[in-house]
Amino acid sequence: MKTAGSAQPLIDGIEKVTGRARYSADLPAAHALVGEILRSPIAHGEIVRIDTTRARAFPGVHAVITGEDCDVPYGILPIAHNEYPLARGKVRYWGEAVAAVAADDAATARKALELIEVEYRPLPVYTSAQAARAPGAVPLHAEKPGNIEREVSNSFGDVDGGFAAADLVREQRFFYAEVAHAQMEPDCALAEYDPERGRLTMQSVSQVPYYVHLTLSQCLKMDPSAVRVVKPFVGGGFGHRTETLPFEVIAALLARAVGGAVKVELSREQTFVVHRARPETEIRLKIGLRKSGEILAVDAEVVQRGGAYAGYGIVTILYAGALIQALYRVPAVRYRGFRVYANTPPCGPMRGHGSVDMRHAFETLLDTMAEELGLDPFAVRRANLLEAPHRTLNDLQVNSYGLPACLDWVEQASGWQARRKALPRGRGLGMACSHYVSGAAKPVHWTGEPHATVNLRLDFDGSITLLTGAADIGQGSSTLLAMVAAEALGLGLERFRVVAADSALTPKDNGSYSSRVSFMVGNAALAAGKELQRVLTAAAAHRLEAHPSDIECVDERYRVAGTDRSISYQEAVRAALAGTGPVTVTGTYTVPPELQGGKFRGAGVGPSPGFSYAAQAVEVSVDEGTGEVKLEKVWVAHDCGFAINRLAVEGQVQGAVWMGMGQACSERTEFSVEGRPLRANFLDYGMATTMDSPPIEVQIVESRDPNGPYGAKEASEAALAGFLPAFTSAVAQAVGVQAYELPLTPDRLLEAMEKARTWKR
Amino acid sequence: METLAEFSLRRPASVAEATRLLATPGARALAGGTDLVVNLRRGLEKPAMLVDLAGVPELDALSWSDAGCEIGACVTLARLARDARVRKELPVLAQAAQSVAAPTHRSAATLGGNLCLDTRCVYYNQSEGWRRSNGYCLKRGGETCHVAPRGKRCHAAFSGDVAPALLALEAKVELASPAGGRKIPLAELYRDDGATHLALAPGEFILCVLAPRPALGVHTAYRKVRQRGSIDFPLAGVAVALACAHGRLEELRIALTGTNPRPLLLSGTEELLGKQVDESLLARIAKLVQKQTSPVRTTLVQANYRRQVAAVTAQRLVKELSAL
Repeated sequence: MKTAGSAQPLIDGIEKVTGRARYSADLPAAHALVGEILRSPIAHGEIVRIDTTRARAFPGVHAVITGEDCDVPYGILPIAHNEYPLARGKVRYWGEAVAAVAADDAATARKALELIEVEYRPLPVYTSAQAARAPGAVPLHAEKPGNIEREVSNSFGDVDGGFAAADLVREQRFFYAEVAHAQMEPDCALAEYDPERGRLTMQSVSQVPYYVHLTLSQCLKMDPSAVRVVKPFVGGGFGHRTETLPFEVIAALLARAVGGAVKVELSREQTFVVHRARPETEIRLKIGLRKSGEILAVDAEVVQRGGAYAGYGIVTILYAGALIQALYRVPAVRYRGFRVYANTPPCGPMRGHGSVDMRHAFETLLDTMAEELGLDPFAVRRANLLEAPHRTLNDLQVNSYGLPACLDWVEQASGWQARRKALPRGRGLGMACSHYVSGAAKPVHWTGEPHATVNLRLDFDGSITLLTGAADIGQGSSTLLAMVAAEALGLGLERFRVVAADSALTPKDNGSYSSRVSFMVGNAALAAGKELQRVLTAAAAHRLEAHPSDIECVDERYRVAGTDRSISYQEAVRAALAGTGPVTVTGTYTVPPELQGGKFRGAGVGPSPGFSYAAQAVEVSVDEGTGEVKLEKVWVAHDCGFAINRLAVEGQVQGAVWMGMGQACSERTEFSVEGRPLRANFLDYGMATTMDSPPIEVQIVESRDPNGPYGAKEASEAALAGFLPAFTSAVAQAVGVQAYELPLTPDRLLEAMEKARTWKR
Repeated sequence: METLAEFSLRRPASVAEATRLLATPGARALAGGTDLVVNLRRGLEKPAMLVDLAGVPELDALSWSDAGCEIGACVTLARLARDARVRKELPVLAQAAQSVAAPTHRSAATLGGNLCLDTRCVYYNQSEGWRRSNGYCLKRGGETCHVAPRGKRCHAAFSGDVAPALLALEAKVELASPAGGRKIPLAELYRDDGATHLALAPGEFILCVLAPRPALGVHTAYRKVRQRGSIDFPLAGVAVALACAHGRLEELRIALTGTNPRPLLLSGTEELLGKQVDESLLARIAKLVQKQTSPVRTTLVQANYRRQVAAVTAQRLVKELSAL
């Protein structure tokens, strides 16, 4: 292989580093009106009255809209549509959109917002799952008494028998603060409505242009063919943009109301309030082990504060249970999950969706139990390894499993055996494992279509345009797809252009979430590449009067194998286009039915065509006077099946570790009792700076998944979850304080160390 | 979207013109803008006129005399941190300047701006909509201090890094004013009230700072504790100037920031002079710090943590400097 497996800079990197890239806020919009949103000043209450008369009459105001203007509820899951772009009858979180205006400029729009009168009847505000579930709590949604959005209960294997047979059973409670994606680019949408033709064009920051397209057509009651969604450059997603967001629908409603273009730009605070990230989570976990370290039974209960609306909530609470499995052999597991509505911004998917908090709890409890049994952390993991192919109790099919190789490398590279016990007090080394899916085997919207489709278009000039709906949001998907196609065709990467995510040009794609693109769209690109290769080879064979199976393509020449008869690539292109004209081929990918999971309720969440694996070791030094922790080094091995773009894989793995680091050490959202966000800015949110970032040494492990494109699996999520337990375990080793609550900030650690000292005395 | 409200921007070329413009009601001095512009975007202030001091040549001067260093108010923090002589003779100042925010901020942020930094509070440094929905606060627009609702005083904390360094150096500031200007000890620039922490008369602004050269044998240093290794304001910042002979303290000044509505020169340190630097002395220093700092819930980080790390940092600096 020449292109696949090499290290390529991103094909759109030059635009980004030179500043030529246009993000949504940079799009030419001199003609656009400014859209501003009026937001609820309370976190829970009934809307008694809205009067927009004065705002409408204000000079320079072109439209004012409220909940009256859209009566179609939406939500990413077909079974949970309960959100409106503008609140109707009730507000459920601070900052929820209540009305919006389009005006000549920002100052006019803001003045108009002040002229809108809204009368609220306040209701009790619940900012914790516990308060929202308490007896007598007012339901946020009338149809969900007790504020339980979804209760999950399932059991696999003989759980009670497993605990009875165990040599050691331990139970522990854990608590995780809510975190946010904190992507660099604030939210922005530019909507343009053509009143003569009744058409809408939306350019937005989305990771899922197709779902935005669907939702816009539903909420605006427009035929989908009248909508076009274009994704400009996007400055990070991490799950923030994995569903249609209120400001996108609002921008579209405003554009239609004014019969022109409207741009809605959100501030950082407003972007934080859009949220859709990892919920505040409480976990109770019980594990039973044999003396050998072998896991016999697991019992877990998870409560997630999901925020005010459904979003992906059901998926998150199901993932937390489903992904207890498929990392180690787990012969019996019982899971109860509660997704709870509360008066905080809606949660959603975030890198490592559903798996991260549970993984910290699991690895941490496993570690502390191993210590009780006198087992090394590596030994207890090795006592529970799978062997691929393996089908878990909940029907997750593992076909490739590079975890053993990951463990071996991390143990060696970190000098674990020689160094760990020899470290002085204040310094510690911890390790953990984690895993993730390469795309959800069942798409959110079942259409019967393939999971992914890619077109390759070849014209007279010999250039090949790859058309994909997959949204490159900085993760490098466009580069990867071009590399896969180039490899399949045996052509240079420079022949390819990628046109991505413009619904008027590119085939529909479900979007960039659950790490589905490399695996699924990668497979579609591979299929398309092979098909175009077939077309070119057939044309060359025809010209060379040979059989297609005798044609080989070397250095962009098509040759009859074993002879010196050959034609150039350009000649092959001419031959291929003769008669047919420009060629467009289609490649698709569908997840094989046996990888799509089981039949029980909730079985649709968890299955994936490929599971990725990671192990990592983290070394820390703790300042016992201030509680500050310095991250000395991280060694991380990630099994991505096959690294199509080694440079991108390395970067993605580092990014995953880094994001896990934020959640472990410093990041959190927080709300006042009234539901006001207290950390909705980049100072208080606490995302790490370069100064806080350790060297991260990445080892790529390639287990060659039988179903992945060239054996590839996902490369950007699995390594996140492992950081958290490896970090807290390292701190525990350094100063003897085990964290069951994250983030482990210096003030918390200092307090914990003091408590431990007092207790000892 | 947060956008700036309208204002007029003036660029005086002389101290006299700047003084005249700043005496206009609603005028506000602008230097690097790294703090002010963020606050303007949030609507914390709505000045009708910004007076950009960057065009006044005197304010950008840095000179040395026998007495010490005279530093113009618009000298950037990056320059202070980089200047070889400042680093050698006034290390506490260079270290404090270097610890402010991040490199891009420091290349624009100025000495005068950092000394006049607005006080900070979790109930104050929020958007207009946020503060409105909370009924504003005592510092601006409201009746209640949400940190201490029963009190009548604003507790917003001063968080400039450079002030404690200059307090430890016993610096003076020279002010320009419509009344003709005056020279005051830096401590007198501040009041113990988060809402009106600067004792500047209308139209008054800092021309320059006079930092005396420490006597031979005096060692100085600044250190801060913050959430992250860069960017953040201090949870607690400590500057120490100290001289030690034969293990005994001959001179000691400790100044703090981030814990009170104003930067604080610790009192009572003179009672420690002549004492051996040992564990019991360090314990007394910790006590002084714990007693005189009064962090309250103005940050999301626990107030008690700020007090603790202020004490630990003071102890460490004293120990390190006395060992030099």
